[in-house]
Amino acid sequence: MTALLDSAALGQAGDTGTTLARLIRAEFMKIRTTSTGWLFLTGFIVFTAMALTINGFGNHSQLYPEQGLVSPAQAVAQEAHFRSPAGVAAIAASMMTSGQLFGVIFALLLGVLIVTSEFANQTAAVTFVTVPRRTTVITAKVAAAACCGALFWLVGTVIAAVTTPLFLYTQHVSASLAGWTVARSVLLSLVAFVAWGVFGLGLGAVLRSQMASVIAALIVYAGSFGAILVFTALYNLFHQGWMLGAPVIAPAVASEVMVTSGPAFPHAPPAWTGGIILIGYTVALVAGGIALTKRRDVI
Amino acid sequence: MVVLLAVVVIGGLVWLVRLSRGRTRTDRARTDGAGPGLPDRPLGGKRVAAALMSRGRIDVCGLTKEYRGVRAVDDLSFTVEPGRVTGFLGPNGAGKTTTLRMLLDLVEPTAGTATIGGVRYAELDQPIRRVGAILEAGAAHKDRTGRDHLRIVCQSAGIPLARGDEVLELVGLGAAARRTFRGYSLGMRQRLGVAAALLGDPQVLILDEPANGLDPEGIRWMRDLLRTLAAQGRTVLVSSHLLGEMAQLADDLVIVAAGRLAAQGTVASVIGSMTYLSRTLVRTPEPEKLAAVLGSDAVVTPAGDGGAFVTGADAVAIGDAALRAGLAIHQLVTQLPDLEAAFLELTAGKAAIR
Repeated sequence: MTALLDSAALGQAGDTGTTLARLIRAEFMKIRTTSTGWLFLTGFIVFTAMALTINGFGNHSQLYPEQGLVSPAQAVAQEAHFRSPAGVAAIAASMMTSGQLFGVIFALLLGVLIVTSEFANQTAAVTFVTVPRRTTVITAKVAAAACCGALFWLVGTVIAAVTTPLFLYTQHVSASLAGWTVARSVLLSLVAFVAWGVFGLGLGAVLRSQMASVIAALIVYAGSFGAILVFTALYNLFHQGWMLGAPVIAPAVASEVMVTSGPAFPHAPPAWTGGIILIGYTVALVAGGIALTKRRDVI
Repeated sequence: MVVLLAVVVIGGLVWLVRLSRGRTRTDRARTDGAGPGLPDRPLGGKRVAAALMSRGRIDVCGLTKEYRGVRAVDDLSFTVEPGRVTGFLGPNGAGKTTTLRMLLDLVEPTAGTATIGGVRYAELDQPIRRVGAILEAGAAHKDRTGRDHLRIVCQSAGIPLARGDEVLELVGLGAAARRTFRGYSLGMRQRLGVAAALLGDPQVLILDEPANGLDPEGIRWMRDLLRTLAAQGRTVLVSSHLLGEMAQLADDLVIVAAGRLAAQGTVASVIGSMTYLSRTLVRTPEPEKLAAVLGSDAVVTPAGDGGAFVTGADAVAIGDAALRAGLAIHQLVTQLPDLEAAFLELTAGKAAIR
């Protein structure tokens, strides 16, 4: 027993990176070593495939309006509109970001779980005893959530990048995927995925409870779209012009405003407004999460 | 634009893979082991220098924690010395866990300080190479294997991942390394907790109820392990309410009740301080006569089979009185209270839910 702790391994160098870099890698290990992350990724792939299929049918009916539903003159005008270079580019952009509207929910919920699962499984104490620098721990989690968001985006974009040219080919139209319309949508989609992953993380850090955070995340996301109805109703009562653009204060509406080329809804404010609002919420939640995590006792 | 996107995508992938693999080639080439704060060689056998000893002392000074008006820990002060096993005892709700959590910087004290080698836990350089802790037997993700749990701690602390496998073997969990935590028995969970605490080969061990849920063989294993660690010069602070176990394991005791210090010292001195709980077994043919000569301070109660217990007079006084009265004494034995009696006396009436 005297040689109880003689260790060959401890004589070797471990990860000699900075604390933050070590913790980010540890966060990736945490995600890799449970089934949750893999289930989310699988779910996201299935969801993206479904979204591409539905989107494909939708776009097909734009390019080939069904006879009888619209008058022949309208059909010709519609075809001409969607077959113009701008129209085809918009279709290509919509294909390239298929499923993004609800796909970001995967990033959002994974962000929530990255922090709340520590409290649900009582591993928070282990984490904070191992590294008693709470700001650094949460910062590493922010980085992990951002990377998970980016990974979802990457997977979705790769699937779409393979499918979209095939779709365009079968529809006998051609559009450059390198054009600004498509590239802008794809890049803003990346911003949305990253922001929602980090948004979820901040929400989880503020609330801690896994159940409460998941429910709150879903309510925030789905409930956001209710803001459009609420402000439309308010406009009908008070006729204040700003009320038409006001739904952008809801996070998910802000996200849609940011990624949509053209107005996301009638009288929607410009895209950058949405971006600033979404990122503003995210930064505020993360700052609140860090402040609370530093102050709270880990019991 | 396509080229730009492709670069971003491929670059991002390469970065993710590199980040998740962790160590770079240059890191791997380093085998000198002289990371900051890393001992030149692992602590082993009796090789803990005296200079290290003071680094292992735990000082708790005026520690107080108030939760919504309730003082869970109330002006608590004690010290824990290296090279000894210190039992931290108290009834449920006495503030043991809160105290240990304040020591580990998980809970912020309302007042007072708790230091290890004179330094607050949060200010230690590479804390888990100095202090190993078990806080909760259920503290791992249910879907994660024991091995992965330890590797994550290693990765966070900058300890080589292979160390996880070493400590798993050390605590006898090698065969269950790749099973998920969900399938672990309570005893296995405790062993995994011990394994995590030993990862950094720490000078100080802080263990909250490590014997809970262990079978007799496991309890014996834990006792041998903690005694060995203390014999190597390490500080071992272990909370428990298994008094019989503690009497066999601990050198020193810190007893708390209702958040306050009830007693501190070696096991013998804590029990010895309770002399008013001791009694003397006397065998004499004439117990009634003995009671008469001892006077009114002493209480004599029959002990069955002809013996009698005397309280209020010690063996010397009884022997002298018997000699003066010409009484025959066949047996005269001082019985000190056991740890359980001492504990119950020290904490009497303070175990109520507050």
